[in-house]
Amino acid sequence: MKAGLGLAATCAGVFFALLLQQALPAVTALHGARFVFVPLIFCLAALALPFPLMLGAALFTGFLCDLMYLHVVGGRVELALGCSIVFFVIYGSVANGLRPYYLQGRWWPLVPLAGGGTTAYLLLQFAMISLRRDGFDFDSALLWRALAPGFLAAGFAPLLYAGVKLAGSLLPEDFSLERRY
Amino acid sequence: MKKLNLSLLVAVIAAAVYLSTLAPGTMQALQGKFVSVLAPFLRTGSAVQEQFGSMGKELKTLDELDAENRKLSEQNRVLLATNNLLREIEAENNRLRFSIEYRERSVFKLLPARIISRDASTWWNTVRINRGFENGVETDQPVLTEIGLVGKTTTVTKNEAIVVLITDETCRVAAKVEGTREQGIVSGKRLQESGTAGELHLNFLTKNASLEPGQKVYTAGVSGGVFPSGILVGSVREFRTRPLDGQAVVEPAVDPAQTEDVFVVVGAK
Repeated sequence: MKAGLGLAATCAGVFFALLLQQALPAVTALHGARFVFVPLIFCLAALALPFPLMLGAALFTGFLCDLMYLHVVGGRVELALGCSIVFFVIYGSVANGLRPYYLQGRWWPLVPLAGGGTTAYLLLQFAMISLRRDGFDFDSALLWRALAPGFLAAGFAPLLYAGVKLAGSLLPEDFSLERRY
Repeated sequence: MKKLNLSLLVAVIAAAVYLSTLAPGTMQALQGKFVSVLAPFLRTGSAVQEQFGSMGKELKTLDELDAENRKLSEQNRVLLATNNLLREIEAENNRLRFSIEYRERSVFKLLPARIISRDASTWWNTVRINRGFENGVETDQPVLTEIGLVGKTTTVTKNEAIVVLITDETCRVAAKVEGTREQGIVSGKRLQESGTAGELHLNFLTKNASLEPGQKVYTAGVSGGVFPSGILVGSVREFRTRPLDGQAVVEPAVDPAQTEDVFVVVGAK
């Protein structure tokens, strides 16, 4: 029941993260890099939730991301539905492996996982686009647009953790972060 | 790994594989429904984005205005502000009048639309407009302004449509250069520099094409194509010779970042 609430909170978090991403403009100073919060939210859930529920979160997150970024031109699909689900399953499995550390109250795994996962997700998108088009086309803007969101996500990770921890402390003892999962 | 976990893992991967085998039309229909559900949130988000986006501009304008204000300190500030406001309204009035005239003299049946959000993804150049299939918009319809070509519609929902811009690499347009017999395919760059109008590449020109900077590039209007002939795409900035063909760098006629009102070509008059 409590883990189910965690999954519901994750789904809601992912949904609002997607909306927030849409609302925030690209950062011109970072060569058009954008804020990407979904992998960060998912990563926290993958660290906190048991494996089966993490899979549920991966399915939901991946499906929503694919629907949001589906790009079909002239009947040709660039990123097919399902690609992000596979990514989030792999990403979540890696994060879930560090769950014991997280449950001991160590927040640091979230930082590299969130940063690395965000960059890996964007690079995967770019790689798949390149495979569908005329091959790889490297540009300095590519590094900015893939790395900068990763650094931003890593920077926001402790804040998110602190926010979730604070929310947990405001709830009754049974709902606190460590006890819940 | 527990049997339950393994079974769930296989089920999720199977679901992902199944989704990836859906036809593009089905995927677009799913996306359309999803975007329709999100529409109220996205519209609010767009308004927020506009606010965020205009913050920098306002700061820049304030700097300029600050200098201007020092120079014009003797003048009545209230009167000046009122005058500026009236000029803005006049400019908007002229722009809209020009748009209406363009719509009336156009040989196409044009549906006016407004851009409600821009560039929501890292890798694609798209905008969303406030017209959908309820207004007669369909997939693969050209979108333009009185100045030139903007792009074409892709996913269309009830009241909104996603427009892929000509600055996107996937939007390819058959084009010709004015005053020559040169024809080629215009497409955008994979990664456009942020904060600029973008850059287009006109490929498959002859190697010895004598193109001059400033020459206009228009849609060629090939049979069975999406874009009708004669719509301004942009102007030539430079010409490069490549091993097999010539390539012109084209400056787009329309800067999507500065555009608010567009027309969707929904048919011929």
